[in-house]
Amino acid sequence: MNTGSWDIEVHGLTKVFGSVAAVSDLGFTVSPGTVTAFLGPNGAGKTTTMRMLLGLVTPTSGRATIGGLRYTELPRPAATVGAVLDTSGFHPDHTARDHLGVYARLGGFARSRVDEVMDLTGVTPFAGRRTRALSTGMRRRLHLATALLGDPHVLLLDEPGNGLDPEGVAWLRGFLRRLAAEGRTVLISSHVLSEVEQSAEQVVVIDRGRLVAAGAVADLYGEAAVRVRSPRAGSLTDVLLAAHGGAVHVTDLGPDTVRIHGLTTADIASAAAAHAIPLHEITPERPTLEQAFLHLTGHH
Amino acid sequence: MTASISPRALVSAESRRLAATRLSMWGSLAALGSGGFVGLLALVGPENFDPPAPGLDTAPGVRAVLGLLGLCAFIPALLGTTAVASEYRHRTITTTALFAPRRWTMLAAKLAAYAIAGLAYGLIAVTVAGAALFGAAAVKGVALGLPTATVLALLSRIAVTMAVYTLVGVAVGALIPNQVAAAAILGAYFYMIETALLLVPGVKELYPYLPGGATAALTGFTFLADALAEQTGGGAASLLSAPLGATVLLGYAVVAAVIAVVVPLRRDIT
Repeated sequence: MNTGSWDIEVHGLTKVFGSVAAVSDLGFTVSPGTVTAFLGPNGAGKTTTMRMLLGLVTPTSGRATIGGLRYTELPRPAATVGAVLDTSGFHPDHTARDHLGVYARLGGFARSRVDEVMDLTGVTPFAGRRTRALSTGMRRRLHLATALLGDPHVLLLDEPGNGLDPEGVAWLRGFLRRLAAEGRTVLISSHVLSEVEQSAEQVVVIDRGRLVAAGAVADLYGEAAVRVRSPRAGSLTDVLLAAHGGAVHVTDLGPDTVRIHGLTTADIASAAAAHAIPLHEITPERPTLEQAFLHLTGHH
Repeated sequence: MTASISPRALVSAESRRLAATRLSMWGSLAALGSGGFVGLLALVGPENFDPPAPGLDTAPGVRAVLGLLGLCAFIPALLGTTAVASEYRHRTITTTALFAPRRWTMLAAKLAAYAIAGLAYGLIAVTVAGAALFGAAAVKGVALGLPTATVLALLSRIAVTMAVYTLVGVAVGALIPNQVAAAAILGAYFYMIETALLLVPGVKELYPYLPGGATAALTGFTFLADALAEQTGGGAASLLSAPLGATVLLGYAVVAAVIAVVVPLRRDIT
C-alpha cells in the first residue's frame, strides 16, 4: 500500500490507433498539493492519456502510474483515484441518489458517503430527480460527486468546465483548489486556457501526442516586456542598446512603437529623460497564457 | 482496509442498479403476465383449444398447459441481455470500469445479481400459473391429471429454467453488447436455428446437449423431441436428466461469459 506520495507518473507513454499515434513517447509527473492543468488543443491526446492512466485504454508501450502502480493494480482504485470523463453517462431511470448508491456499493463505501458527497458538490437539491431530467450543470456535479465517493487522493478531470455556467465554473475553481490544498493530486484537462489560468499552478502542455512544456504556470509566461511608443523610438533603441548591450532585446512593433525585453519601466523612463526623448506611452506587459500556449505549440 | 472490493459489494451494487430501473417493474409485470396467461389457458381448459387438446383431468392436458409456461422462459432471457448492453447504451460502462477495473468481476457480479432476479421472476410466474391451475381444476370440479407432487416438481423446474435462461441472456448480452442484436440472435436460435439444425443428419444425436434439448430435459416437456422422433422415425431421443440439462445450459452461459470477458469486455473503452 502506498503511504507516501500520490504522484501521477507517465513514462514513454505511446498509444497507436491503427496507423495513427494518438500519444507518442509522452512523459511527465504531476505532484500532490496543487492543481495541474493538462493543456492541449482538441485532438492533442489528452483524453487518451487520461484513459490510459485509468486503465480504460491499454497503452501500446510505456507506463502510466498513480502512486507507483498501474490503475488496475491499485488495491481499491475508486478509493485512490476519482475521475470524471467527458463521455460518461447515467442510467436514465436512476435518480441522482440511486446512481450514487450503486457506485457507493460497487466501491465498498459507507452509505453515509452518498449524503456527504451530495452536500459537497451541491447535488442534494436534485437528489431525488431521475438523471434523464438533469441539466448539463447538474450532470457535471453528479459526475464529480461520483468521483468523490471514495474520498480519493488523486482526481483526474477531463474538461470539467464544459457545459458549466460562469457561476459553476467559479464554484468548480474554488472547489478544486480546496481539494488540492488538502494535499490531493489534481489533474484537469482543458483546451480553454482562461479556465485554467486562474485555478492551476502547474501545467503540462501537449500537442499532437507529444510533450510541449511542463512546469509552473508562471514560467510559461516567460519574461516580462515593456511596450514603448515614442516619435524617436529609433534613438531610444540606440541609447538602450549602447548602455545595456546584449542584456536588452528590442522588437519593432510599428513605426514608433517597440517592445523591450530585459529592462524595467524605470530603467527605460530614466534613460529617455536623460536623453530628452519624449515618451507617448510606456506600458509593462506580460504575454497572456494564450500567447504563450500558441508560441509553445507552434500554432502561430 | 480490505485488500479489494468484496464480491458481496459488487452483487449488491448490481442488484441495486437493476432494482432502480423501470426494467425491474416491467420484468415483474411480465412474470405476472406470463403466469396469468397460462392460468387463463388453464381456466379456459385445453379441451376448448383449437384444435382441442386433452383436458386438465388428463396427464397430457396438464403437461400442455405447463409446457406453454415453459415457452415463456424466453422472456427473462431477453431481459438478461440488457444487463451489459444498457451499460454501453447509457455510457455508464466507463464509471463501472473505473470502480471495478477487473472486468470479469463486473460480469460475475451481474450474473449473480441476475440469477437472483431470474429466480424471482420464475417464482412469480410459476406461483401465479400454479395457483390458477389448481384453481381452474377446483372450479371445474376435476382432479388434475397429474399428482400434485409432480405438478409442483414441474413448476419448480420451470422456475429454475427461467433463472438459468436469465443467465444465458446476460452472458449472450455480454458477448453481443448491442441489445437488439443479442435479443434477435437468441430468439432466432431458439425458435428457428436449432430446429433447422436438427434436420441435418447426425445432429439429432447431439440434440440432448443442444440448448433446446437441455431445456426440454430441464422442464420435462418433450414436444419437439417427440415430434422429431415421429418425423425421423427413430426412437424418441433420450434426454438428459433435469440436473444435467440445467448444467448443460449453465455451461453455455459460462462459455458465452468467458468469451465475453476475453473478447468484447477487454477492448479499450473510449
